[in-house]
Amino acid sequence: MQVFRKLGWFFKREWRSYTLGIIMLLLVALLELVPPQVIGFVIDHITESTLTGNILMQYVVLLIGVALLTYIVRYFWRIMIFGASYRLGRILRNRLYRKYSEMSPGFYQKRRTGDLMAHATNDIQAVQATAGAGILTIADSLITGGAVLITMAVTISPKLTLITMIPLPLMVILTSYYGRLLNRGFKKAQAAFSRLNDKTQESVAGIKVTKTFGYEESDHEDFRSLSDEVVEKNLKVSKVDALFDPTIMSVIGMSYFLSILFGARMVLDETISIGQLVTFTTYLGMMVWPLLALGWFFNLVQRGRASYDRIEEVMLTRNDIGTDYRIEDAPDGDIAFDIGAFNFPEDETAGLRDIDFTVEKGMTLGIVGRTGSGKSALIRLLLREFDTVNPDDIMYGGHAIRDYELKNLRSRFGYVPQDHFLFSATIRDNIAFSNPGLDDRTVSEAARLSHIHDDIKSFPDGYGTVVGERGVSLSGGQKQRISIARALVLDPEVLILDDSLSAVDAETEERILANMQSARTGKTNIITAHRMSAVSHADLIIVMDHGTVIERGTHGELMDLQGWYHDTYNAQALREELESSLDELVERGDE
Amino acid sequence: MEENTYNLTFNDQKRVLIRLMKYTLPFRKVLMAGFLMLIISTVAGVATPYIVMIFIDEYLTPGVFPESDITWLIVIFFLVQVVGAVTTYMQIYLFQYLAFRVIQQLRIDAFSKIGRLGMRYFDKVPGGSVVSRLTNDTEAIVEMFIGVLATFLMAFFMVISSFIMMFVLDFKLALFALIFMPVIVLILAVYRRYSANFFSHARQLLSDLNAKLAEGIEGMKIIQVFNQEKRLRNEFEQINEMHYRYNMKNVKLDGLLLRPAISMISVLAIALILSYFGLLSFGGTVTAGVVFAFLQYMERFFEPINQVSQNLNIFQQALVSASRVFALIDDGRTEPAQNGNEDYGITAGRVEFRNVTFSYDGKVDVLKDISFTAEPGQTVALVGHTGSGKSSIINLFMRFYEFEKGEILIDGQSIRELPKKEMKEKIGLVLQDPFIFYGTVESNIRLYHQDMSFGQVKEAARFVRADKFIQKLPGDYSHKVIEKGSAFSSGERQLIAFARTMAMDPKILILDEATANIDSETEEEIQKSLERMQQGRTTLAIAHRLSTIQDADQIIVLNRGEIAERGTHDELIRTGGIYHKMYQLQNGQGEMS
Repeated sequence: MQVFRKLGWFFKREWRSYTLGIIMLLLVALLELVPPQVIGFVIDHITESTLTGNILMQYVVLLIGVALLTYIVRYFWRIMIFGASYRLGRILRNRLYRKYSEMSPGFYQKRRTGDLMAHATNDIQAVQATAGAGILTIADSLITGGAVLITMAVTISPKLTLITMIPLPLMVILTSYYGRLLNRGFKKAQAAFSRLNDKTQESVAGIKVTKTFGYEESDHEDFRSLSDEVVEKNLKVSKVDALFDPTIMSVIGMSYFLSILFGARMVLDETISIGQLVTFTTYLGMMVWPLLALGWFFNLVQRGRASYDRIEEVMLTRNDIGTDYRIEDAPDGDIAFDIGAFNFPEDETAGLRDIDFTVEKGMTLGIVGRTGSGKSALIRLLLREFDTVNPDDIMYGGHAIRDYELKNLRSRFGYVPQDHFLFSATIRDNIAFSNPGLDDRTVSEAARLSHIHDDIKSFPDGYGTVVGERGVSLSGGQKQRISIARALVLDPEVLILDDSLSAVDAETEERILANMQSARTGKTNIITAHRMSAVSHADLIIVMDHGTVIERGTHGELMDLQGWYHDTYNAQALREELESSLDELVERGDE
Repeated sequence: MEENTYNLTFNDQKRVLIRLMKYTLPFRKVLMAGFLMLIISTVAGVATPYIVMIFIDEYLTPGVFPESDITWLIVIFFLVQVVGAVTTYMQIYLFQYLAFRVIQQLRIDAFSKIGRLGMRYFDKVPGGSVVSRLTNDTEAIVEMFIGVLATFLMAFFMVISSFIMMFVLDFKLALFALIFMPVIVLILAVYRRYSANFFSHARQLLSDLNAKLAEGIEGMKIIQVFNQEKRLRNEFEQINEMHYRYNMKNVKLDGLLLRPAISMISVLAIALILSYFGLLSFGGTVTAGVVFAFLQYMERFFEPINQVSQNLNIFQQALVSASRVFALIDDGRTEPAQNGNEDYGITAGRVEFRNVTFSYDGKVDVLKDISFTAEPGQTVALVGHTGSGKSSIINLFMRFYEFEKGEILIDGQSIRELPKKEMKEKIGLVLQDPFIFYGTVESNIRLYHQDMSFGQVKEAARFVRADKFIQKLPGDYSHKVIEKGSAFSSGERQLIAFARTMAMDPKILILDEATANIDSETEEEIQKSLERMQQGRTTLAIAHRLSTIQDADQIIVLNRGEIAERGTHDELIRTGGIYHKMYQLQNGQGEMS
């Protein structure tokens, strides 16, 4: 019931729908009481031969009226109650999405996409069911059950009612007992199914090994025995599941028997008429559903509560970066890093220490170093994916970056991430992601600068080509260049390329860098790279290792230093030479 | 993903359904027994009101109660109840049994198809979607069997039996009652027409909603950096709103045509019955029992219709799922055929590629006119960078793909003619990324080789020097492997894979970048093991680190599908070609990615 209290805000908001809905349910319950009474009266009139055309007419008209009215009321309570529950689903989904869009990457690091999805799908579904079917079942079982019970007792006989009700608790007890058994068995069946799932997954992933050793047959046998287990566990569930109907039938049969047996005596005593007995048994049939509904209700509420708690937990999670700001304007000027020490939450190894350098406005900064040396960590701190220990660790235009409104800070950056994520949309929409209203010329200009325009033109639908899961598959290099265009189209104050040229060849890289240089005079660029050639033109190059700066200077200075940069640069140059000599060889071969 | 949206035509539905029904044929007896139980339980079901009718009309109304008659009636009543309960139970159980067995067979058929599919299929179809065919889609069919077909059968029997009883009780009234039939059919037909449309729309919107959500979660970083939270939130809210509207349409449609409508008709039916008997009573005799029984049968007639109508949508969804499973079973991209001439066998292990040309897509040749020979016991190393074709050579040799031009020979026999078993037993492949299965260390070495003794397993591990680290594990050979062997180092995983291969004692050894992922600490160990493994075996090796193949009898340098250079290490160094440059690069700088 706790979940209803927690959903209080919603019921308050939708009180009209629920009040009307429940009043209508009450009305339906009352209307449903009429036909059995009419049946009884008509039968009595028939047996006592007192039926006249007029009376019959009245009853038939009454029934038709009841039928039509019930139809209308039934139609509307559904709209009231189910409609409200769908609105709850809609609200929760929107809120959850909003929450997700406000959370910093730290939040996403701690949670799996699957779980976040499950909150928005299964959990919302369960809460929605509580507010819809849950309210329906409890209202129906209380209202209909109560109304029928009272009517039986008042209009026919309290004693007979009491007697025939004796077996009914047995039905509630047995079915809820089956429910528990079923739950347990269902879990086992589910476990067997997930073993089968794992097996299938493993077989598909290891298909090459299986084929190499020629074990398809044995693998098949293994699968067969697992699938036997699935059947076996499911049949155990079936054995319980199949008990429900016969049990309900038998219990109702017992009540039936009691009502006829004792009812017959009362008919002989002339305490009740035959018609009343028939009315009574008809009412008896109407008691089944409210009793079963009671069981469903508890089930629904239980699931709804667990789901709502999970959703609430997410909704109440606090962002791990601060959102207060002091400066209204967007930042401008130099960016100064002065980080004493920083560790990512829950990760001792990948930290930064003793970082101290300044990126002057209009300058191109290159950051190089091995994987895990801390290049990306610097970028992530600058973008405020995480907050530094001291506010002053990163300053932009003379103020700490967290003094600015997040929106304003971000508006200065054009960011190209390592993992070139594209949306399932057209290429145009992906490039114009920051502003769908951009004109085609601006978009194609950015694509030209990123050296992807010609590729796009070669696709069947050009800029209208859909990418992503449901669209064409692009090469890593193409994706990277589109995400570069996505950042360039903003003409940002600070362009950040986070190892974003790794999948393009050296020649293309050179052209993109040259394009950038000419198009971005006076603007700041920050480039992290594995390939030294990507940063060799930079005004300042920082070499990082184990979270700190080990070399700094221009390309010339670093080459003179004969350190890591020098060695890596030479090795990569040699590799370039090898590749081009291979190309030459092929060209020669083709002639 | 792309299959989510497709709908089946009526003919396709029929074909899929018939094919599904054929799966029940092996379980004819169960099906028959289920039917029998269904018939008995139905008869028992209709008997109860009949008994009550007799009681009311013969004994209660006249007020005479001969003791033996009443006793008999009670006995029969209880007998009917018991028989009804037992047969209902049996009937439900048997139909569920049938459903699970049918699905099991379907799953087994689909799974064994996976074993027969060629690598071409796995290149194109993501693993996740193959798994989902076998599990989720088949599960949807279970739902249909239990939730729809069984319910439908029961409903059908109940409706028919109720009608029969009505005809028995009063032919004319039953005839009148029949007029409700076309009305109900009409209502359901209208419902089907609109609901199929609304339902698939709502479903589509839900899947759009989930796609947006998933994309939002995956791409949140980009969305935030570009300050687009608000825009995407609006897009999401718009779809959410559409989804809500379609749900409301569904609620309204259900409200107009399902339970409320059927219930209204059932009250109208009561009105019909009462007026019929009322009018009849003016001219003749009508008994209370008959009215009672007739009303009961009418009630039984409407209830199953309610149940079935609500499950119709599951049915359609399950057929789509079934058609996907069948599409997998029917997929033509099977592995290359093996003629399997029993007289052929691998003896010395001489490998020859003769003018082999191969293309994955039929357009671009990844191997062009490749010819080379590995004499028995020799090691041939294949060198070249990504896309040079070295892996394709191995893929063809392992029969992962079929080739069109040229010939591959083992001991002078075409590999197409060799028996599959012979190929698998005499050729051992070690992959770059050793796949470790769920199980123990022992089961990972043994795999499915049941007649291999534990001694042989240990011997294989010792041979590749894997025994040292295995003995240190808790429970050594019976140590449980977790999460694809993630607790082992890459070197340890590779050693297990070596042992797995050596346990087969193959004649020909294929090393597909077997040392590429090994950390340098274990590399030396691995290298020693590899040397031992190669002794007395013809070996084809793809190597990343050139230092590992210096002793090869022949080094073949591949470039864009062609053999660019060949010779021994010394010869190639002397020539000063590509190999020489690559060697310099690796030796000088140690790093090559």
